[in-house]
Amino acid sequence: MAVKTIGAFKRLLTGCGAVAHGVRLSDVDVISTYPIRPYTGIMSELARMIADGELVAEYLHAAGEHDQLSVVYGACAAGARAFTGSSGVGVTYAGELYSPISGERLPLQMAIADRTLDPPGDFGEEHTDALTFRNQGWIMGWASTPQEALDNTIFLYRLGEDPRVVLPQFNCQDGYFVSHIADEVEVYDEKRVKEWLPPFKPLHKLDPRAPESLGPQISPPSGPAMQHQRKLAFENVRKAIPELTESFNKAFGRHYANWLDEYMTDDAEVVFVVSGAHALTAQTVAKKLRHLGEKVGVIRLRWVRPFPTLELRESLSRFKAVGVIDTNVDFGCPVGAGVLTSEVRAACFGLEKTKIVGFVAGLGGEVVSREEFYHMTHKLQVVARTGKVEKEAYWLPFDLKM
Amino acid sequence: MNPHELFFEPTLKQITTWSRGVILIKDGRDVSFLLGEAGRADGKYVQAYENYVDLPDRVNVPVTSFARIASEPIESKFLYENYAHDVVVVLEESLVRSPILNMIVGGATLVVNTKRDPEEIAKFLPKHPHLKQIVCVDASKEGRSAFTLSGQEGATDATGIGGGYAGPLAGAVAKATGIVTLAGLKKVAKNPGACEYGFNTCVIADAQQIFKKGIGKEWKGDNPPQTVWEVPFAGTVKAPVDRNFGMVTNTWRIERPVLQEELCTQCQICMLNCPDACIKLTASAVEVDYDFCKGCGLCTATCPTNAFSDVPELDFVS
Repeated sequence: MAVKTIGAFKRLLTGCGAVAHGVRLSDVDVISTYPIRPYTGIMSELARMIADGELVAEYLHAAGEHDQLSVVYGACAAGARAFTGSSGVGVTYAGELYSPISGERLPLQMAIADRTLDPPGDFGEEHTDALTFRNQGWIMGWASTPQEALDNTIFLYRLGEDPRVVLPQFNCQDGYFVSHIADEVEVYDEKRVKEWLPPFKPLHKLDPRAPESLGPQISPPSGPAMQHQRKLAFENVRKAIPELTESFNKAFGRHYANWLDEYMTDDAEVVFVVSGAHALTAQTVAKKLRHLGEKVGVIRLRWVRPFPTLELRESLSRFKAVGVIDTNVDFGCPVGAGVLTSEVRAACFGLEKTKIVGFVAGLGGEVVSREEFYHMTHKLQVVARTGKVEKEAYWLPFDLKM
Repeated sequence: MNPHELFFEPTLKQITTWSRGVILIKDGRDVSFLLGEAGRADGKYVQAYENYVDLPDRVNVPVTSFARIASEPIESKFLYENYAHDVVVVLEESLVRSPILNMIVGGATLVVNTKRDPEEIAKFLPKHPHLKQIVCVDASKEGRSAFTLSGQEGATDATGIGGGYAGPLAGAVAKATGIVTLAGLKKVAKNPGACEYGFNTCVIADAQQIFKKGIGKEWKGDNPPQTVWEVPFAGTVKAPVDRNFGMVTNTWRIERPVLQEELCTQCQICMLNCPDACIKLTASAVEVDYDFCKGCGLCTATCPTNAFSDVPELDFVS
């Protein structure tokens, strides 16, 4: 079947629409779906593309997320470039599949448009759904705009399928804030993407002409070696990301940082560390406060797995006070904030001068407002001035009454 | 400096559109995206999005969508709604009974799709001191609703923007406010003629002059959103036993079932068919609970003696 070529264009697209175009341009072979807000827009857009002849792919509507992941698991094992996605409790329902998919080294991609788990079960976002599976051997990163969501789709297929890597990828975006608010997006010409993203060439695949078994049960003595492979693969991701980011930027005229998207940090006194769209709100506050002579910087983490430990440690050693924004819950965790605060603190272990404060904000999908960033900044300025951390973790809005 | 002043965006114009779930969802979204794309064609910074918390898959439920247009980059990018409306666009006239003027800013404009004139519309509005003008346009004259389910949930609408009611309404916004230009609209709309029609035929009236004549309802102040500091243990809520005033659904109603009592035989078929259990037996006939009646029309359709008739909601001033 011939594919209808659309060519390059620019228009207002939501994060959902943008990812769907990323999937179309990546020329995927198999898509498995199951609806859940806010991810649903991606699957309905892909269905439309197939109906309109813009994409030729197998589209399987599964009976639930566990089945959904099982479909792409098998498809990718048979050599297909596969795509799936979900949100919130859909992500957790499929939980059993994540480790086998990465363990059998199947570089399929799953889009996650974040949604809270139950409770509160509203449509709003928390990064908890994706972060719950941060230890399952998948590459994981957050887009902050619809454009970046499209770019990450293409980028992650190339990274995941790189023969040094061969790992599945969570392509995350903030539910609603990125997935549902339309922004200007440049959609690339099909040829341009094809040149940068070569067809998927699996190292091993299920083929009746040369039968092999993927993921058979092994005995305990082989366990360490088996797990060690994924560890080594992640070390290769660290090498591949800077290389491929440079290559992607050159091919598509973008300016993405390898690991840390730094904003006004050069002479900053205090900085925020954020993952995802709320970084943009922090940036507008940093810019406003510059006019008042207050030096605030923002560091956005592009990737959470692998965690940019060395890069972050080097960068944060320059600052006296760091505020980490946690849009996730990790009840009973070491610092009492969320996942990112614990991890940033671990990355900065032993840096005497850098004081780290966690801010749990935007839970249940609540907006993290500019006013809140303004007041968080003032808490950090006190830490920078005195060198003392009065409170290690703030839960907004309760611990930061304005 | 207080943070509210610090973060004020002087060039930002916020346009809020009210439409109805399923039946007018596409036209409502189209107003926002048409104005957004026109703003982009005019060289402005824009955002367009649908309300995420509304229940758009319920037929007739009031739903909102938003366009935001500015000469400088938009800083308040990630909000669920507009909280300071410069323009309110109403896709279906009976929606003027909803709190459409809550949190409008000084000099605000209301645009309504209706055959009625501004004075008749004003009867249903609170006399909000910020409302500058009431604009009426009859979009149904230029075309039909552009109903489609394509483009729901943030996906791309493959049918094009501004083919139904959106064109005339966006044209009226351009004429009354100048936030976007007619040239910009015509560049991006599927039906440029409809934009021109709205631009040329809309009726613009001074709202405060109308209110001065005594037309309109009492304005009781705005209800800004509140921070929620506390919820019950584990979010537990008591189930409503009879009437749930947390979920009054009378604003879903476009037409009201009106009973001619002398024709009622008390056969109770309407009571069986009412999906919301809104009809009760009285001594001589039946009675509709207009707090919860959504105006679905099933009672009218199933009444064997044709005792019910559906009457446009704005023919009643309550």
